[in-house]
Amino acid sequence: MTVPARFAFEGITGGYGAMMVVRGLSAEVGEGRCLCVLGRNGVGKSTLMNVLSGHLGAAEGSIRLNGRNLAPLSPDARRRQGMSYAMQERPVFDHLSVFDNLMLMRGSAGIGLYRPYFDRFPILENRLDQKAGTLSGGERKILSFTRALAEEGDITLLDEPSEGVQSENISHMENIITEAKSRGCSFVVVEQHLHLAEAIADHYLIIDQGKCVLQCAAADTDRQDLLAHLEV
Amino acid sequence: MDSVLIANGLNISFEIVTLALVAMGLAVTLGLLGVLNLAHGEFVMIGAYCAFFVQEQGLSYLWAFPLVVIVCIVIGWPVERSIIRALYSRPFDTILATWGLSLLLREIVEFFFGPGFNSVDQPVSGTVNIFGADYPLYQLLVMLIAVLLIGSLVAWYVKSSTGRRIQALVDNPNLAKSVGIPTIALARNTFIFGLCLAGIAGVLLAPIVAVHPGMGIDHVLKSFFVLVVGGLGNVVGLVVGSGVIGGAESIVAAILDRTAGYTFVLIVALLFLWKKPGGLVSR
Repeated sequence: MTVPARFAFEGITGGYGAMMVVRGLSAEVGEGRCLCVLGRNGVGKSTLMNVLSGHLGAAEGSIRLNGRNLAPLSPDARRRQGMSYAMQERPVFDHLSVFDNLMLMRGSAGIGLYRPYFDRFPILENRLDQKAGTLSGGERKILSFTRALAEEGDITLLDEPSEGVQSENISHMENIITEAKSRGCSFVVVEQHLHLAEAIADHYLIIDQGKCVLQCAAADTDRQDLLAHLEV
Repeated sequence: MDSVLIANGLNISFEIVTLALVAMGLAVTLGLLGVLNLAHGEFVMIGAYCAFFVQEQGLSYLWAFPLVVIVCIVIGWPVERSIIRALYSRPFDTILATWGLSLLLREIVEFFFGPGFNSVDQPVSGTVNIFGADYPLYQLLVMLIAVLLIGSLVAWYVKSSTGRRIQALVDNPNLAKSVGIPTIALARNTFIFGLCLAGIAGVLLAPIVAVHPGMGIDHVLKSFFVLVVGGLGNVVGLVVGSGVIGGAESIVAAILDRTAGYTFVLIVALLFLWKKPGGLVSR
């Protein structure tokens, strides 16, 4: 008998109404590991993330974090169980300041806890008083990424974190994720930017038309394999 | 200065401030949660009956405040759970459901207190002389309390962590859930809070109006007009809307009569719904 993985989902089937967008997706993510979900546009990557984060109910399948079944829990209850989520669309509170976006759930803690992030992304520290809605798309992604990573969740879901982000800052994201992994944080990342995916992934899940077409360890896979499956 | 002019100015100010006070609870439920609560006026009515009830029992008027909060929680909790929660994204159904609720509440109050008109004694009597115009002390106090209440509500909404979480919930409900805000409980508490504001307004107004089971209709309509004219954006909209509606009604009523004042306000609200549905101060 093996030790159950930190985070696991099995047989995830879900969609909108009677239309199932993803069918029978399964994967496990160990402690300090990162699963990258790849696939072309519109194959169900975000739908999978919506099911995992609890915004969309799973028609079938189980989701487990530290052995606990998350499937019946609301997104806010999943957060309390140790899940963090940076969403693809509308990733920040546009009408709140950058400061409030970061400190909303931090109680009396100081903004200083974001020091390591501000060192990499000084733009956030410089714009603390600005409304998050005034940031560029890429800056909003950085803000959302920072908020989610600083939660130090047992499992962090990132949906297209690098979309619209400058390459210099994508490198910072890469380093921050790698450091978090070494502290034992686990990740599920949907990513179009293959370079970032290759830098952080331990496993790949490649989906097409809602189904798994390839599941493999990063060590056994090179870019040619990935590209071959992404262009089916 | 002309004392008649001052008295008129005070009367108009009183109309505007009390209108803002009554509309504040609706601004919370409609502006923040998107729930058009047609039973809003009934909670004002319940507040007024709380004041009537405590005086009937020979207790101090002030007991009406804790009483109305308890009553609003006791009614609001199951109402939110059973009716409102399922309808947060269904505005038309919400209107029908809360209209039904308003009928029910009116019937219940009528069952216990009868259909007749009641009056509540003013907790403080006497008049104050302001620049030559004698003005009732209680009305002055109500204005002061209303202004303080609205001001502290705004400060709380902007400054407190709960206020910011409500802003987050309004801004981006999905993200609010994912950062760990218990949105279901927060929406419930916000709804009940809006009811309590209506109830408190009712307690404050009870000594100056006729207390009867049908008194709520007038209040919900005018509150709705205030929000139509002012917009749901922020407290500035609430004050501007109250200024336009309350001011226009009292001025037209002073020149012609109350029916004309009411008609004029109705026309203003219709024009806004037609030409400027976002109101004067949009979000």
